[in-house]
Amino acid sequence: MKTSKGWFSIFVGPILFAFIVVVIIPMFMGVYYSFTSWNGINNNATWVGLKNYVEIFTEDKEFLDVFLFTAKFAIVSVISINLIGFLLALLVTKGLKVSNFLRSAFFLPNLIGGLILGFIWQFIFTKGFDAVGAKLGIEFLRGWLADTQTGFWGLVILMSWQMSGYMMVIYIAALQNIPDSLLEAAEIDGAGSFEKLIHITIPLVAPAFTIGLFLTLSNSFKLYDQNLSLTGGGPYNSTQMLAMNIYNTAFKFNDFGLAQAKAVIFLITVAAISITQIYYSKKKEVEM
Amino acid sequence: MFKSKRLLALTIILVMAASMFFTGCSKKEEVAQETGKVEVDVFQFKVEIAKELENAARDYEAEHPDVKINIQTVGGGDDYGAALKARFQSGNEPDIYNVGGPQDLKDWTSKLEDLSNEPWVEKALDGVLSGATMDGKVYALPFNIEGYGFVYNKGIFEAAGIDPTKIVDYASLEEAVKTLDGKIKAGELKEKYPTLEAVFEYAAKETWVTGLHTSNVALSQEFPSSLDAYNSKNVEFKYGDSLKKIIDLQADYSSNGKTRAKLNAVDYSTQVEQGLAIERVAIIQQGNWVYGGVKSIDEKVADNLAILPMPVVGAKEDSIPVGVPMHWAINKDSDDASKAAAKDFLNWLYTSEKGKDYVVNKFYFIPAFKGYENFEPQDSLGKAVKAYAEAGKTVPWVFMGYPTGWGMDMLGANIQKYLAGEMTWDELIKDSQERWTKERS
Repeated sequence: MKTSKGWFSIFVGPILFAFIVVVIIPMFMGVYYSFTSWNGINNNATWVGLKNYVEIFTEDKEFLDVFLFTAKFAIVSVISINLIGFLLALLVTKGLKVSNFLRSAFFLPNLIGGLILGFIWQFIFTKGFDAVGAKLGIEFLRGWLADTQTGFWGLVILMSWQMSGYMMVIYIAALQNIPDSLLEAAEIDGAGSFEKLIHITIPLVAPAFTIGLFLTLSNSFKLYDQNLSLTGGGPYNSTQMLAMNIYNTAFKFNDFGLAQAKAVIFLITVAAISITQIYYSKKKEVEM
Repeated sequence: MFKSKRLLALTIILVMAASMFFTGCSKKEEVAQETGKVEVDVFQFKVEIAKELENAARDYEAEHPDVKINIQTVGGGDDYGAALKARFQSGNEPDIYNVGGPQDLKDWTSKLEDLSNEPWVEKALDGVLSGATMDGKVYALPFNIEGYGFVYNKGIFEAAGIDPTKIVDYASLEEAVKTLDGKIKAGELKEKYPTLEAVFEYAAKETWVTGLHTSNVALSQEFPSSLDAYNSKNVEFKYGDSLKKIIDLQADYSSNGKTRAKLNAVDYSTQVEQGLAIERVAIIQQGNWVYGGVKSIDEKVADNLAILPMPVVGAKEDSIPVGVPMHWAINKDSDDASKAAAKDFLNWLYTSEKGKDYVVNKFYFIPAFKGYENFEPQDSLGKAVKAYAEAGKTVPWVFMGYPTGWGMDMLGANIQKYLAGEMTWDELIKDSQERWTKERS
């Protein structure tokens, strides 16, 4: 017992210390700044009480739009990322000859930074799609990212492409944990592959779904770099997501107090949504 | 054995944590103490001159062995303002940094050193210090002067039989554009300019092109200087209709003339490098700063460029906007030795013969100071801007006096909505007026 305490302080201690210094303390400082009006340049911030929060809910129409856009994006991308990730996992655990190659190929986008990915896809959407559209005369492919719809789907495609591979890895681990005997028993009882999937595989990988949903949900809400490099929030700020709106409020309009208040609301919402999701997904899990 | 291993691990972790903590603090003072040198940290935004500025600093150091100048550049596509704020908030404040106009001056007022007594102040050209002056004191040194307008390819105009010297107002400009458009569509210029597909390219994705530069043409007729814009409680859009004409002309005669919403995806490089430089379009709204970019692709095209006026119907129709893009400022809170060295460096750069050579021939700047008789601009667009300035056919830049974020993030976004058909012109004017008033209250 005593040794385990020692090991705890060696392994967890430094991380805990770093976590407190770079996450917990700034969080409380941030909450303090949300009650001030601070332009980010002066050394002193004046206390204004709840003014910033009131302003968000009464005057700032844009914040609501941004919030809805982000929520819409999060829902669509959570579904698409997990669905694609799960299907990819099923594909590569089928025992194909090329499985190992496919695993690496699907996972690869994850290794590229979000900013660079955004620029790559920006090129594909604006230049690549445009060229193909012009050659084949398909008007649908032209002018991507120039309006809200294509901007939205552009972001979804980019995120799905990037994150599906990562989710795939999680689902592969879960799939390989399912004992073959269970599946064989089902087969002997006459279950088809679809029935096996619905009644055995999916219930047994439910813990992985909990993790997968949590990761994609929180990542989609927090998305910033891909948003910045792909659309930059344009056109007319209509593809701006929460993190970017907060950043712009702070750094473009020099209103750090208001931005901080938005960030606090952001934190509370994301935490609330994630905790609810985990609570309900956990209930669905079955013990083996 | 087991114990000593554990001890070793613990020590390593502690050392790592400690070193993480103590590096970064007070690095500058340490270096200064070790070498006895005065260090000047420069944080600047003009990426185009980054390398040459570095060379200038080395030359200065050679003349002043007790000074060391560190230059850091953040700009181009990056947000300099945000980076600068982050730099200040981190506590690692630079000695020399850049500010725009009156709005920036106000925002940064607690960090600006008074430069009124510097030798270069007297040498400044008329009016160029207006954006750097607050309450009668000069706080910043203007980088240079720049001008923008309709940059056009002289060869294409010649081939189409249009005489650019006859374009002096909106009517003649529109006529020329229509003639050119007709000839492009009829394929008459195909032989000589096979890539030519439209008259204009308009980078509506870049809100600084629309929200700042285009709007400035009309608003500079309303506010005589950026200081007036800065002091104004509201904006009238007195020449709003003329502004609409300029935007419509550029949008309708671009490659996306029929699908104007798609202009919102056109960026700076599409406009300059994949537009003007490869002779895909004949005219773009840009300034003398595009010379270098075009030259790097096609030197012949670059040397064949000139500037047409941006006509505001009902006001000055034969002029281009000329102004100071950015200023050098010195941090009031730096230590005295660094401040003195910083002042001397800036003065050296803009008033010594060696410095002047850098400013004109290496940075390709059009100087904002007197005493540059022996240093003429070298490039076609610099010459064009200088010609307008000498003929007095200029309007000022007033967008530095817009409320923070108003030009790019509000008006620029509204112009995108207008182009996409999401907002009518009247709504655009009304919304922009309201937001101006709100920001200023």
